[in-house]
Amino acid sequence: MRRAFCEFLWSPPIDNARAATGRSTTLRLILTGASGYIGRRLIELAIERSITVVALGSPPANASAARVLPWRLGEEPERAVFEGAAAVVHLAHSWASDASAGDSATNINLVGSEKLARAALANDVPRFIFASTLAAYPGAPNSYGRVKNATEQRLLALNDAQGRVICARIGLVYGGREDGQYGLMTKLVRATPILPIVGIDRIAQPIHVDEVCAALLALAIDPLPRRDGVASAVWVVAGPEPVTVGKWLHTLRFAHTGKRIALVPIPLSVALFGCYLSRIIPFVPTIDRERILGLAGKNWFESSADLELLKVGVIAPEKRLASLRSARRRRVAEAIAMLSYVAGRPISSPKPVARLLRGISRRSDHALGLPWYVFACPLLLRAFEPLRSRPDHRLAQRLHLAAMVIETMHAEQIPDRRPRFINLALQIALEAISLPFRLMLSSRFA
Amino acid sequence: MINDDFDADFIVIGSGPAGVSVTFPLIEAGARVLMMDGSGPDHPSSEDTTEPWRVALGHRLEALVPDDGLSPKLRTPESRRIIAEFHRSLKIRSDSFLAIGGIARGGLSRVWGSLVSELDARDIEEWPFSINDLRPSYKAVTRRMGVSGSQSDDMSEFYGRSGEILPPLLIGPTAGRLLNDYCPGLFSDFALGTARNAILTVDRDGRKACDHRKKCLWQCGRGAVYDSRFDLIKLATCHEFRIVDYALATRLTPMGNGWEVSVRDGRSFRAPRVVLAAGALATSALAAPLLPNPPSELRVLSNPLIAMPLFVPRRLGCSAVSEGHSVAQLGYRLFYRNSDDEYVTGALYEIDALPPSNFVTRLPLSRPAANELFAAMAPSMLVASGYFHGHYSENRLRLEKRDGEISMTIQGGFRADLPDKFYEVTRRLKKIWRRLGAWMLPGTELAPPGADGHYAGLFGMGQEAEYGTTAFGEMNAAPGVFIVDGAAIPTLPSKHITLTIMANADRIGRHLAA
Repeated sequence: MRRAFCEFLWSPPIDNARAATGRSTTLRLILTGASGYIGRRLIELAIERSITVVALGSPPANASAARVLPWRLGEEPERAVFEGAAAVVHLAHSWASDASAGDSATNINLVGSEKLARAALANDVPRFIFASTLAAYPGAPNSYGRVKNATEQRLLALNDAQGRVICARIGLVYGGREDGQYGLMTKLVRATPILPIVGIDRIAQPIHVDEVCAALLALAIDPLPRRDGVASAVWVVAGPEPVTVGKWLHTLRFAHTGKRIALVPIPLSVALFGCYLSRIIPFVPTIDRERILGLAGKNWFESSADLELLKVGVIAPEKRLASLRSARRRRVAEAIAMLSYVAGRPISSPKPVARLLRGISRRSDHALGLPWYVFACPLLLRAFEPLRSRPDHRLAQRLHLAAMVIETMHAEQIPDRRPRFINLALQIALEAISLPFRLMLSSRFA
Repeated sequence: MINDDFDADFIVIGSGPAGVSVTFPLIEAGARVLMMDGSGPDHPSSEDTTEPWRVALGHRLEALVPDDGLSPKLRTPESRRIIAEFHRSLKIRSDSFLAIGGIARGGLSRVWGSLVSELDARDIEEWPFSINDLRPSYKAVTRRMGVSGSQSDDMSEFYGRSGEILPPLLIGPTAGRLLNDYCPGLFSDFALGTARNAILTVDRDGRKACDHRKKCLWQCGRGAVYDSRFDLIKLATCHEFRIVDYALATRLTPMGNGWEVSVRDGRSFRAPRVVLAAGALATSALAAPLLPNPPSELRVLSNPLIAMPLFVPRRLGCSAVSEGHSVAQLGYRLFYRNSDDEYVTGALYEIDALPPSNFVTRLPLSRPAANELFAAMAPSMLVASGYFHGHYSENRLRLEKRDGEISMTIQGGFRADLPDKFYEVTRRLKKIWRRLGAWMLPGTELAPPGADGHYAGLFGMGQEAEYGTTAFGEMNAAPGVFIVDGAAIPTLPSKHITLTIMANADRIGRHLAA
């Protein structure tokens, strides 16, 4: 068992080995930006559909799921990479270059994307999917939008681009791992009940990350649907229901905390001045001017027809987010129960709980689904512990993390471990009583 | 000798113990050395904090990961970071093998257990040189590291006497009980004595002596435990020495009368001779592509490792003492039955300063009961490690050529007769421990292949084959490329190999300098 676990830790899964050893018959997808918010989820969903992913760039956190080839935006990948690939999905974007080069022709996003697309087309990759944005139009307020727009133009003008280069204009993505812009927003709405905000009545078209990935996979792999009999190169992957930014922040705040948020509209110029200040004042986190400007989009795009053609069913954000709060609550409650159980005394201070949740979330975001009486009396967790701690037992694994959190809570390195024999006797008695329950119940959270 | 085309006389790849050991003699002889380090200088760690969770789990909770059977010293945040970086940088796949390596300034010496031992003539019977060739190097390396231990007990001969030995560390009360009950000659096949550690017990060269605060696992901040970064500080004062940061070597190409080393970021450096000291696995990744006809696999020796929990009943009821250390207290050596040259050796550790979760998880009890039991027993417990000879390992490094690059997979395993030996050794040790007043608790087990981290034998010195190296570590297939780390060690005795790797690197350095 331990061996299996070690393998799990240190080596990629078998699927991957197969992918690495050459021409498999499965579909092969080349992905850039695999370590990003959308990229990570796309890898998971692709694997669920038995699609092999080759990630170009820095290894994603779920690196074991994909073969990773070192690459940087601006470099030309080796020819061999493209061999037999069904599509390239180009998600990578360099924010650093936007900040330094703006929308000039030297922006690495522009140059690098073109280079990558050229290489892919020259090596007979059937499709090249470019992740663009709803804000991609010539006069877009931030250079992100303008660069994306310029890149779209360049890619579509390439030789052989017809029917092969596809731009997916993605809306405001939410859901899943709290990462990227979504992570930033959730952090904000969780942290503060009052939020000064630019462009409160601007329009956003929120779409869930799973829906975005489904659309990208459809564009990459399925036969391309024709819109009004024409093969279209630009697809809108955004929520069909527009909401204002203010309304969206309300929704997020309520979903994550169950509380309301007070939004203070501030003029754009004031916000930009704030960004400037954040840059020159030391020790204050810098606010990215680009991101602020990005909030100021104003156009609304019709997307339901495109999503329907791509067979992506969209679920309303309110519905999707409704379960979020209860799920998080449940995870917190479970963490508290596990910590209290391991420590032998009630523990509910937020810091150890947060540490444990972070440790757990590296492997799984799901609560175990412990029964209600465990929350009332954490001692009862004993009935679900396996007889011998197995590394692949989910409850045992989490209890181990809880034990590590507990033993590092206190300052003294060498706690007084004077043996307490009465306690020990009591524990052994409890151990005997709980044994039959453990035999019966320990597989429940395996 | 110096040509304008060359960046130095020697390029040394790797800043760990082998890298610094080969560099000293070269520098002393006036050669220009360029050391390539895959990482960069250390930033002052903000973990020097009093918040215990930051110390034990790491800023980013690097060490908060599920139990994976690694030894406690490899579970610290520092170790987790270093090993994770190794796996990120080097795409070595592993199958039933725990691949341990470090891409960090100082390499694995930052997180090592500090046990040292010299080899003797019998241990290196199959090596292409004699023990007398190693003695001066042992002496020099021992002096540089600062090694403490006993000079006159039953183990001191076994650990070797070539170098200067500083007074021993304090011995903890539980280990002390065992040592009290032991007297020379009590067993014909077994010897027990003070462990030999590369830890200072007197202040020296800006490093401070161990103050017995039991912080060994989490960088005590005094520099008592040897770490090759101390040697890098010394080297940095030499004009002939230059270290290049963030230069992860990716490829060696022959050019004219020398070699060019390419770095991941596109830079390249040239020298007439290149010394590989990046640690056995990383070195192999650089050396294997140089073989004109790479074999489909290379053997990787490692020491199969056992861990035995021991309980000293006479200490039951005593509370833990605050002074001590958590590195090896005692060392032992056991000859196999009917053999006077094959042996198992290992060390005994007191565990009361180690994080309880490491042990509690192993107990077949529920958490609260295991916690309570551990609290009661920790002050009276020891853990004994035991290393088997490398020839009981059967690990293979498979090389596959794909897309013009060589991909490497390590397949771990043990020789078929290891379980019998394991049984024989544990049964004998159980009796011996019992005689010394310690009970062996259930839970003795063999660690997964590779968990010891002592890898050797890949490009063994004295092997005739293409993948062999000369007695001075020069690759048969690539003259001018020298291997000085574990990869060149031809056989792997049970003794801790680090000191010998360093001494061998020093020996090769002297040869190259001559």
